[in-house]
Formats: sequence, C-alpha cells, structure tokens
Amino acid sequence: MDAACVRRWLDDVAAGVRAERDHLTQLDAAIGDADHGVNMNRGFTVAMAKVAALDGATPGQLVTVVGRTLISTVGGAAGPLYGTAFLQAGEALGRSETFGPERLLQALEAALAGIQGIGAASEGDKTMVDALAPAVAAFDAELRSANGSLESAVGRASAAATEGMRATIPMQARKGRASYLGPRSVGHQDPGATSTALILDALAQVVLGGGASAGKVQAAPPRRR
Amino acid sequence: MTDTRPGRPDDERTLIQSVSRAARILKALGSDTSRLGVTELAARLDLKKATVYGLLRTLEAHQLVEQDVETGKYRLGPALLQLGNAYLDNHELRARSLLWAESLATRAGEAVHVGVLTGRSVLIVHHVFRPDDSVQILEVGASIPWHACALGKAIVAHLGPGEQRELLAEPLSKLTGRTLTDPAAFGRELGRVRREGLATERQEAIVGEAGIAAPLFGARGVVVGAIGVSGPVEHLLPDGPPAATVTAVKEVARGLSRELGGGRSAPSLGA
Repeated sequence: MDAACVRRWLDDVAAGVRAERDHLTQLDAAIGDADHGVNMNRGFTVAMAKVAALDGATPGQLVTVVGRTLISTVGGAAGPLYGTAFLQAGEALGRSETFGPERLLQALEAALAGIQGIGAASEGDKTMVDALAPAVAAFDAELRSANGSLESAVGRASAAATEGMRATIPMQARKGRASYLGPRSVGHQDPGATSTALILDALAQVVLGGGASAGKVQAAPPRRR
Repeated sequence: MTDTRPGRPDDERTLIQSVSRAARILKALGSDTSRLGVTELAARLDLKKATVYGLLRTLEAHQLVEQDVETGKYRLGPALLQLGNAYLDNHELRARSLLWAESLATRAGEAVHVGVLTGRSVLIVHHVFRPDDSVQILEVGASIPWHACALGKAIVAHLGPGEQRELLAEPLSKLTGRTLTDPAAFGRELGRVRREGLATERQEAIVGEAGIAAPLFGARGVVVGAIGVSGPVEHLLPDGPPAATVTAVKEVARGLSRELGGGRSAPSLGA
C-alpha cells in the first residue's frame, strides 16, 4: 500500500462518516450525548482538508495528521480515542513510502493499544474495542494462515469488525457515559463500535476494490429504519 | 459474593433470613444480567431452587419482580420504579439542592450533579443539564464508583480516617487509563482535596470528561454528599480549574450546606 491508497481510504472514511452522520448520532442519542456523528463528521472534514494540503506525504504522515486533527477538533470521548488510535497507527507505519500487510497489522495493533491505554476498555464493555479487537485478531489470524494475503486479511478484519459491532447490541455498557444507564444500555448498538466498523470497512473496500470512493461504505453499518 | 457494605456491620444473625434472601434476589436482578431464571438465581445465590421460586412468587405478588412471558425468566418489577421515585422525592438533599443546582448550572454553564455515597459508589440524586440546547441523558439514579468522580473524592476526603481506610482497602477499578487506582497515591489525593475543600477529576471516569466538586455538610458538620459540575475536559480543566468555576462550586456548596444545617462547621477540617 502507498500514500495514494491511504488517501483513498481516508477519503472513503470521511465520506462514510458524512453519509452515516445522522445514523451515528441517532445511535449515540440512545445511550450517550447524541453528538458522535456530528463530532466525527466535523473532525474528518477538517482532517481531510489538512490531508489534501499535504503534498508528497508518506502514509505514516497522513495518518498522523488525521490523528492530531481528531484530537483537537472532536469533542467527547471520540476525539482522544480515535485521535490516539490514528497517531499510534501513524507512528507504527513509520516513514516508508509503502507498507505491506505485516506493517499494517502493526499499525492496527498500535491503534488498539492506544485506545485501550486511554479507555481501559476490554472486549464486552460495549465500546469501539468490541469492533477493533476482533478485527485485529482476524487480520492477524488470516495473515498467518496458508493462503493469507493483504486482501483476504482486510476482508476478514472488516467482517469481524462488523460482527463485533452487531454483538454490542445485547451488551450492557461497562465504560463511558452509557455505563451510567446500567441495564438500560442493553438493546442499543454502540456508536463507537459502529464508526470503527465503518473505518475498517472502508479499508477493505479500498484494498479490495481499489477504485472510486463514492458509495462503497454503505455496506458497513446496518441501516436500521 | 457478599452484599455487606462499608459502614453497615450488620450481624447476619440479627436479620430476618427470608427478607435478606429476597433483597439478594432483587440485587441480582438489578445487576449486569437483567433477566435470570430460577436455576441461575439459585446457583448465583447458593440457595435451593424451591426457596428461590417461593421468594420470586412472593415478590411477583407485590410487583417487585415480573416474569417474562416468553422466556420464563424473571426481571425487576414496576413497583420498584415507584419506590425508586419515592426515594428520590423524599431525599432531603435532593429536595434542598434543586434551586442551588440550577443556579450553579447557570453560573458555570456546565451540567451539575448532586450525589451521595452509597457503599462504594456515588448515587446521583439530582442532575441539571448543561444549559445549552444539546441532547443530554438524565443521570439521576446512576451509580459512579466513588474513586472515579469528583463528587466521590469530595465526600470521601471528608469522612473519618477509618471509613477512608475501608474504602481504600478494596481494589479501585480502572474506568479509564487515567483512573487513580493506587491506594497510597489516592490517600495523598484525598488529603489535598480535604485541604482545598475542592475535588477535581480529569478523564478518570469517562474519556474526555472532567468534574469539579465540593462537599456538602449537614448538622454537626457531617459530610452528607457533594455538588459539582462536569463537562468536557477542555472547558472545565484546561490546565487548572478556572477560578470562576471554582468560586461558583464552592459558594453554592457553602450556601447549600448552610441550609442543611452544616453551615458553621463546614469550613473546619473537623478534627
């Protein structure tokens, strides 16, 4: 993968967040502050303007600038969590012009470690970790398997993230504001897990499809009603 | 699993066993698994199935539990909501804090919570939304681990040394990467809170959120709860807490304490 590919991925993430803004906010309204979609959209809009202005940047630099922008523009928990995830991933990608699946795995692992360092969340707490952790594990397992490739690994990771996202519905939140609701948080899909699944789906689409960015991210979150 | 709480050294032998068992059933149904069958409850509480069944039938007759028609499992019943509301309505601190909390929210421009210590958690008895048009969820009735919120630190810092030791003796759970969990460091934090009469919390309960709180004193200078503001960490605690917010929290806490009968003794460190 190279910088052009990373740009396509970030474009797709931004487009997906824009398209899903109301859906994410609606999910957040059930168990949080009803600002996740709006915040993420604002953050990615600003971030993409900075990415567009960065000529000749390496993949690591692009991802890092997104992280820095998210930290400073996205409020609530999502800013520090996603911001740190992108910062750590950017650092893991290093300074090279291109990277392969092994390096991508390290970046995903670094993102997960960053999120867990800040949020102290484990799988089952009804957070973005419930989408990201299984995705990282699936990516790793697929890469280690006999026919594992970058393509098959991102495909598995995206599917695992979506499955993990859906699995948050029956969970009772144990982290964040949603945990204050106790049993009332049961029955709602976690907005953070949903945006994480969207980001990984966009990654899979870019790696697998390679082409134009419009209209592909729709597969990520199930559009209820 | 025991359900005895600090400060409640009730001897099991002086209690009525069946009432205790019924209470344990209600607490189990109110914990993380909200629907439980007779077999699961019996296993969890180490009781005979017939005993659990009899207790559930009795609780059901009083609408304190109800049975799910489809699964046959039990869950908490509607009578508990009425009791919960009645508890809050009769809560003296809540009743007295309404106007004070409103004025603090207006002055500070942030959400206000009033809480009391129950066991190892702070129970939110009153919540005023941040005075803007944003969507917020009412957090009255929420329980927050005492060590992760400014309200809990403000209260515990003004308890006696014995009670503090007891609370610090049990492991402090990690809610975020910034939650203070080291008992020794926490002891120092409580000392600081007590000296300053003000507690702060920075992303220790929820990532991105902070809180500033001051203790509330009742008659004889006993700490009865705390009042405080909470909101985005970048507003509330950019570096140190903004002086105007600190003043507002302290003044409101002092005024409300006076009304609760703890006015004169409040500022003293209650040796």
